[in-house]
Amino acid sequence: MRGRGLRAPPPISLMTRGSLFLRKIIWALITIFVVITFNFFLFRVLPGDPAKAGVKDPRLSPQAVAALQQRFGLDKPVLFNTQGGNLFDSQYFRYLGALAQGDLGTSYAYKSRPVTSMLGRALVNTLWLVLPAQILAIVLGVLLGLVAAWRRGTKLDVSALIFALFTWALPTFFLGILLLFVGSRYLGLPTGGRITIGADYASFWATAGDVLSHLLLPTLTFALVLLGEYMLIMRSSVVEVFSEDYILTAKAKGLTTFQIIRRHAFRNAMLPIVTLIALNLGFTVSGAIQVETVFSWPGLGKLTVDAVAQRDYPLLQGAFLMLAVSVVVANLAAELVYLRLDPRVTEV
Amino acid sequence: MRYRTLALLLGLLLVLAACGDDGGEEATTTTAPATTTGGTVRIGWGGAPADLNPGIGVLVEDYTLYELVYNTPISLDLDGNYVPELATDWYVSDDDLVWTMKLAEGVTFHDGTPLTSEDVKFTLELYRDTEDFVFMPSYFDGDEVIEAPDPTTVTITKEVPTGSFEGRMVFMYILPKHIWENEDPATFDNAAMIGSGSFKLTEYRQGEYLRLAANTDYWGGAPIVDEVIFQTFENADARVQALINGDVDMVTEFPATAIPTLEANPNITVATGEPLAPDLTDIIFNVTEPEDCPADDGVCTGHPALRDLQVRRALAHAVDKQQLITTLLLGLGTPGRAIVPTGLGVWFNDALEDYAFDLNEANRLLDEAGYLDTDDNGTRECPAAMDCGDQPELRFRLNYPEDSDTAPRLAQTLADWWRQIGVELQIQVLDSDTLTSVCCPSFDYDVIIWGWGSDPDPGFLLSVLTCDEIPTGTNESGYCNPEFDALYAAQQAETDLDTRVAMVHEMQQILMDDLPYIIPFCALSSQAYRNDRFVGWRDDANKLALEDPTSLDVIRPAG
Repeated sequence: MRGRGLRAPPPISLMTRGSLFLRKIIWALITIFVVITFNFFLFRVLPGDPAKAGVKDPRLSPQAVAALQQRFGLDKPVLFNTQGGNLFDSQYFRYLGALAQGDLGTSYAYKSRPVTSMLGRALVNTLWLVLPAQILAIVLGVLLGLVAAWRRGTKLDVSALIFALFTWALPTFFLGILLLFVGSRYLGLPTGGRITIGADYASFWATAGDVLSHLLLPTLTFALVLLGEYMLIMRSSVVEVFSEDYILTAKAKGLTTFQIIRRHAFRNAMLPIVTLIALNLGFTVSGAIQVETVFSWPGLGKLTVDAVAQRDYPLLQGAFLMLAVSVVVANLAAELVYLRLDPRVTEV
Repeated sequence: MRYRTLALLLGLLLVLAACGDDGGEEATTTTAPATTTGGTVRIGWGGAPADLNPGIGVLVEDYTLYELVYNTPISLDLDGNYVPELATDWYVSDDDLVWTMKLAEGVTFHDGTPLTSEDVKFTLELYRDTEDFVFMPSYFDGDEVIEAPDPTTVTITKEVPTGSFEGRMVFMYILPKHIWENEDPATFDNAAMIGSGSFKLTEYRQGEYLRLAANTDYWGGAPIVDEVIFQTFENADARVQALINGDVDMVTEFPATAIPTLEANPNITVATGEPLAPDLTDIIFNVTEPEDCPADDGVCTGHPALRDLQVRRALAHAVDKQQLITTLLLGLGTPGRAIVPTGLGVWFNDALEDYAFDLNEANRLLDEAGYLDTDDNGTRECPAAMDCGDQPELRFRLNYPEDSDTAPRLAQTLADWWRQIGVELQIQVLDSDTLTSVCCPSFDYDVIIWGWGSDPDPGFLLSVLTCDEIPTGTNESGYCNPEFDALYAAQQAETDLDTRVAMVHEMQQILMDDLPYIIPFCALSSQAYRNDRFVGWRDDANKLALEDPTSLDVIRPAG
């Protein structure tokens, strides 16, 4: 190992790695199941009866209330059916059963719409916005952090630091509104929405241009908000790595600064960034709530906010489930990347 | 989306399709060169329709869409008059029990099928009998026998007379029988939305936008524009900016603070008027008498002093409605009186004398009734002879829903005024569900700030304060007055308009005297449009609704 950096990882047998992988997946599944159960009961212990939320109109007749409750299965007991018949004919087990078939129920507020299709469409829209913004923020943030650490103490470093702190601290909706005013007034960019409705473009490229012009401001807003954190973490991480002995060794070997960064510093400094990316990716599936609201972007965040305001419990439950699954999956992915990135990680 | 208390607000929109044609001819006879037709109108709004099925929709935006796509037998014009739409004529028999409607001829649905009395009969029966429908069954008494003796005649025979026939018919969106008879009405998504109105739905994206094409075969005369697009801008500032940039041609709602900016722009016209669907803010007193406390759900912890009319009158004298309108609504409102909002036209009794803002008079009333600050702590106490239990001080709980824009400042302002007359408020914000649970029918509160949406007919709002509605939770104040109830029953069955108006006015006088509510204000609505894009918007009527067919049928491209 001497003088060779981290090139030779200690061998781990395939079996150990395989069982580790399996164990992590099982833990993730258990976590998701606990979350499902917790969410289900959370909405039923909160003040305000979800059984009444879908059907509480003072002008509804008692028959109408009963009919609606039956349609949403709210006439059944919550956990166990002790009123005779099947013990498992309850709201909870019906929910689990439907969930197993990928059915998240029907929205209260949009009574003829299945939650699954509403979430699915919103997810696609959210990914369109979030993925480019994340990639932009990660690439720019990591590069900026690296350069700032490399040129530590210079004017470049200080400027980058101020920029990162400023954008990170700026409230998202405020930055969004600012960019919206500037971008729409002086650059002629659209004020909101996903596409120009009703526009009939001659070519694929014209359509793509329209989509991009709508995507530009929200993506930029979101990327700017995320960028600061990546930059700051990357900078401090690289600064720390630079103080390690093996960097001194590398210098002593006569490697150039670029070679040191590329072969030794970058990989080690990336570990905290991987954690951050995983956490952020997990949470951004919940949607860039504020960005989506400012730019009327029909994504998951906007859908969740609407669901809260309308007390649409089935939709909320579905959105929470999706958020939980994405956070768990992103964390799982991060752990697996660790295995690859840092051979010292062999167990949790 | 403008968040209204969904459960309490009825989104009600009214149409003037038949009369819109007259307006259209007037607007177009000036000069109508061939170049000024067609075009796509883009409208920015804060919300979006949630349901294409007229039985299920509850949002204001749902009803906007129904008005454009469907026809109703009768409609209400922007000045508050009932006018013909599908029904060219309607009348009631001498015994007030049989209503006859004559339908227009040559009406077809968007798919080319003729609309006949069979469709009207089918629709009315569907609305009456489908229990899952939210509001529709409430427009029927259940005793109606509906018949279609010939293709253009519908008769409705009732057992008890109704005074609000027209008010009910304005929401009867006539559906095509040949489509709906094969569907389960409670779950039908109605994606194709076949109606007979002046616009056809061509594309609907939940929460994003909807596109409507002009119905070129419209029986009442086709709209001048080709297409209308409604686009959702959830953020109010973005909506205003979209209008300034010209991304949209009209916005249906925006914050009052944006008015100076918009008015400074020569290409933008700002219009203000009574809202088409008026809604009401009310300061509710818990006046439930012990004998009226609901046996099943009642907790009835209201402060006994609030059951004293003298106290409520003193509180009314300590509310400066004009000041509230200036600070909370930036001047865009009118002082409220009794429960009928100013936007209801003839039904609103504008002869009512309001309680003048006069803190000295308020103090005098409380002194006179024996509520004195005996312990000198700034808050008055109940008179010794009165049993105020463990709460001798005039210290009231005040609750309001978290989703209200105006209630927080209204509550603070009330607390300031009422403190000056020795009344203390303990303010607590609650979410709507919790507010419902303390409100009614449990009556576990002292004062609540809440609201109602209104039908064009005052019947529903007046029913709120009847004794029968105390156990149901609709009557929020626990107010019960047999004289009021007798008048309510009488006006419901009165078919003569003038007699009924007089009764409704008298009921408002009773409420003004008894004060179960203080109505601080009725908000006006404002809309804005680009005058360099389309002209001919109907912004001169008493009520304002530029998104209504009344305007969209007749506007034409500018220049």
